[in-house]
Parts: sequence; structure tokens; C-alpha cells
Amino acid sequence: MLPIIAWRNIWRSRTRSLVVIGSIIIGVWALVFLLGFFRGQVDNYITNIIQNETSHVQFHDSLFKEDFDVRLFIPEGEYILADVVSTTEVKTGSSRILVNGMLSSSNAAQGVLAKGVHPDQEQVTTGLYDKVIEGEVFDTSKRNQIMISERIADKLKVKMRSKVVLTFQNAQGDISAAAFRVSGIYKTHNRMNDELYVFAYIEDLRRLTMLPGGAVHELALILNHFDSTDTYASRLGAKYKPYKVETYKQISPDLELFNSQIRVNMIIMTTIFMLALIFGIINTMLMAVLERMKELGMLMAIGMNKLRVFFMVVYETIFVSLIGAPLGMGLGYLTLQYLNYQGIDLSAWSKALEEFGMSDIVRPTLDSETYWLIGSAVVITAVLASIYPALKAIRLKPVEALRKI
Amino acid sequence: MKDHVVIRVVNLEKTYEETAVPVHALQGVDMEIVKGEFTAIVGPSGSGKTTLLNIIGGLDRPSAGRVEIDGRDISTLSDNQLIDFRKKHIGFVFQSYNLIPVLTAKENVEFVMLLQKQSKERRDKRTAELMEAVGLADRMHNRPSELSGGQQQRVAVARALAPKPDFILADEPTANLDSKSTSNLLDMMARLNKEEDITFVFSTHDQRVIDRARRVITLEDGKVLSDQQHE
Repeated sequence: MLPIIAWRNIWRSRTRSLVVIGSIIIGVWALVFLLGFFRGQVDNYITNIIQNETSHVQFHDSLFKEDFDVRLFIPEGEYILADVVSTTEVKTGSSRILVNGMLSSSNAAQGVLAKGVHPDQEQVTTGLYDKVIEGEVFDTSKRNQIMISERIADKLKVKMRSKVVLTFQNAQGDISAAAFRVSGIYKTHNRMNDELYVFAYIEDLRRLTMLPGGAVHELALILNHFDSTDTYASRLGAKYKPYKVETYKQISPDLELFNSQIRVNMIIMTTIFMLALIFGIINTMLMAVLERMKELGMLMAIGMNKLRVFFMVVYETIFVSLIGAPLGMGLGYLTLQYLNYQGIDLSAWSKALEEFGMSDIVRPTLDSETYWLIGSAVVITAVLASIYPALKAIRLKPVEALRKI
Repeated sequence: MKDHVVIRVVNLEKTYEETAVPVHALQGVDMEIVKGEFTAIVGPSGSGKTTLLNIIGGLDRPSAGRVEIDGRDISTLSDNQLIDFRKKHIGFVFQSYNLIPVLTAKENVEFVMLLQKQSKERRDKRTAELMEAVGLADRMHNRPSELSGGQQQRVAVARALAPKPDFILADEPTANLDSKSTSNLLDMMARLNKEEDITFVFSTHDQRVIDRARRVITLEDGKVLSDQQHE
């Protein structure tokens, strides 16, 4: 009977209840949207970093990343790659020779990190071809072709087919230089990377740096299951002990920082929302209790004990939140589904986003766990919000309450 | 056989200290009400009628003296014990009906039985009997807002009777009713009193009620001025 009375009580003041339910719906919808948007931004950032820079797992010589010394290579790198790519955990991988050097034209010079890659491997690992905005990646049948970014091209004042010279240290420790022809110009969403990386055919760089056959500096792996990155990386680390096997989080610690910062933002936003909700519900339920003082007094007079009166008020609040929260979440879910499919175009801020390595299309998303958390938080908040009005109700003295008009 | 005393009021005093000048609402009231009485407590406004009824009903506590219901001193009970006691022993009828607006007439009547965790069969049977007795068998599924004042008060009486209490306390039950509804209600209560030996105690200053009461206790300034049996 108590839940029935509570349910019907909600609809006694239909307008007021609909306003509270409406505010919960809008609030939850806004919260779902904002959390989804933030999560979408984080995913966008992480995806861009993984896709363009780190992959899921990378191998290096244990000291290589300290100063990118060309002599610190993995001698059997190509064989290790073939070995790990054949396992079920790995989707694809790419082997690279990395050479720090100076790229110069007749007009200017720029410090770069030249990545010697197999274009086909690199395409499936980092989508190399998709980044090309002019020309092509490079023709492996031709010698010394290079793909540079639009930014480097602008800085060096070179165009397609221009000649540039890469000066670097070879595996013998000697300074060497080689002329390359620009075969393609690329552009990514990461300004810093665009100012650093140039791409050449791996065999050209191997020959020029005098590295032995099969030797590479870096192996980058894309796994089939993103979530298994940590466990798989530690297994690989144990298997290929002398080499350093790192996950994208270890390679790019800012990812975790960004992720945790966004998580903190999400918690703050959820807390602010819940605080607003708590006061909104207290206000409404208090009004509902004060309006019914005489009736509550009567209920206690005829034998309804305080615990039942308390729970009647709590039930009313829970019912209001149980109507509002799922509707708000449903609306939020549909909004996120649509926006995830459509994408939110932030191209008006693309320059600022490039500074952070983000693309200008954000696809909001939210995991089911967060939906559950929001739903539970709303119900818990509603229960907390109902305590004060419910206490107010049970503190009534029937004899005084019955005198109220 | 000696009459069974349902309510015994002994030297009851109630002083309201909250006001600037203390108000002595009851000053040494003594009375006994036996089973089956149809008693009206009358007196002018401020004479202490409602205060006396509230204390007898366990809704308020005396400043001194005691109230015994069926021999049990209720002034020693805690708030929660009092609620439980009221649920089992006392039926209330209020001046402004005070039905639960979101429940139907039937649900209002069976409400206290639900609080007492009586079975559905017993509740249904008792509710049907009572709705029949108060002449509202055809209005079982109407909400209070769909009933007239007189009908609501009859439902309130049925609700008060539902748990088979020791007695019914009715505070100015006819104050908001027209003369026809008052007459119907009094007829019904008199019949229940006579046929089912239910004890009724009213506070009232309605002459129509006073005329129907078999015992009239008059209060003035918190004291019993007279206590008369009517035939």
C-alpha cells in the first residue's frame, strides 16, 4: 500500500511533479551528453595518438629512446615482427628505422626524425596513405624518395618533386648525407608530429645508415583487443627480454594524464549536477511535505508509524527519480548514438585542436558502466535528498499537524 | 454485571506553557466512559473539548493526571508505542474528514487494517460490511474528491470502525456538514452504537449532536461543569 500511496501522491500535483521529472530528464540528458562529449574527446585524442604515433605496443632497444642513437637497433627486428604478427593477439605491425637528422633545402633547414618504413605495413598500422594530401607516399622501386609534411614543406619552401638533403649519423658513427626527392606531402591533426616526422622507404634508410639486413629501431604493433594491451605487452617484454616493450600509455604518459584529468572533470561535473539535483528535490519534496502536514498528522494519528511515513516520502522521491533518470538517460543515449554516427564538427577550432593532436570531428560515446553509474547516482541522490523532507515529516506531532489548515 | 470502563480520566491537567501567559486548558478533569456509551463532550470554544479528546486519543500528553484505556495508563507510552496503541484501540473521526485523497473510499477504509497486516480476505469482508453499514456500498471505488462532505464523513466513520477499536473519538464530526448529512451521519452512528455496542465520544457544540447523545459532559474553562445522562 505504501508504494501505491507514494505513487499516487506524486500525481496529486501533476504540474509540480512533471517539472521535477522534466528537470531530472534534462539534467541527466545534459550530463550524459557532456560526459559522452568528454569521453569522445579523450577517445579522439587516444585514437589519434595510437594511430599516428604510438600504436598499442612498441619495441625498441632498451637504450634507444634515450638519444635515438642509430646504432642502438634490434638486429633481428624484422623476424620478431613476423613472429608476433602471426599470433592471434596482434592485428598488424610495422617495422621502422628511425634516423635523427637535418633536412635541408636551398632555402632552409629543419631538424627531423626520418622514419624508414614499409609503406604497406605502415598503411595498415598508421594509415600512412590516408595522410597524403599531395603526391603519393613513395615508390619503393625508386631510390631516395621522401614524404614530408605540409608544414615542413612550407618551412623549407619546397614542393612536390623538389630535392632535399637529409644529413644524419650512420651506424658507423659517421656523419652522412643523402639527397631525397619529395614524392608526397602529408598532413595530420598533430602539429608537433607534422613538424618532426618525414617518411622514407626503410630499405633506403637501411642502406644509407649501413644497418644490417633485418635490423630495425622500432616495431609498432596494433592489437586485436585494445583492452589486452597491458597483459600482452608484459608477456612480450618477458619473451623478448633485452628489448624494451612499452604500451602506448608508457610511451605517451600524457595520455594517462589527459585521461585522468578528463575523468576528474567528469566527476566534478557529475557532482555539481547531483548537488543541483539534491537541492531541487529537497525543495520540491519539502513543499510536498509541508503542503500535506495535516494529512501526515492524520496518518500518524490513525496508526501509521514514523518509519512508514519516512519511507512514504522516500518512495515518492525514488519514484520521481526512477521516472526521470531512465528517460534522461534514454534521451542522452539516443543523442549520443546520433552524434556518434554523425560526428560533431569542431573544424572552427581545428587549429587549436591540432595543437593537442586532436581531429576536428568528435564522436561522443559513453560506456554502459557510466550509464549505470549515472542512474545509480541519481537514485542515491534522490534518496539522500528525501531524507530531510522525510525527517521533517516524521518530526511532526500529529496533534499540531492536525491543527494546520 | 458491572459496566466495563473503557476510558478512565483521572485528575487530568493540561497547561500550554508556550504562550506568553500559560494557558490552563484542562484543570483536574475526572471522568469514566463505559462500553457502549454515546457521549458528547460539549462546551464553548476554548473550554478544553479538543484538548481532552486529543489526550484521550493519545495524540497529546497531559501536564498532570492520567488516562487509562481499558485499564492501561497511556501517558507512560512512548510516541511509537502510542501510534501502535492508537492503531489497535482507537478510531478517529475528524472535523474535516481527513481521508487520504489519493485512495478510494474502500482503500481508505481498509488502510488501518493494512497497517495491522490483516489478510486480504478479512480486509475485503470487513470493508464490504462497513461500506454497507454506512450506506456507501456503491461508492467503494470513488475517491474522496468524488464524494460529498457527508459521504466522506461516513467513509471516515467506516475507516475508524474498520480495525474494531475499543471506542471512536469524533472531534466535531458534523461541523462541516449540512443538516441532512448531519442527520444521516448521526442516524448511522446511533445505529452502530445500538446494534454493535460501539462506544462513541464526540466533542461538539452542535445542538443536533447534543440532542442525540445519551450522555452529555459539559466543559467550561477546562473543568467538568456538568455530566448528564439523557434518555
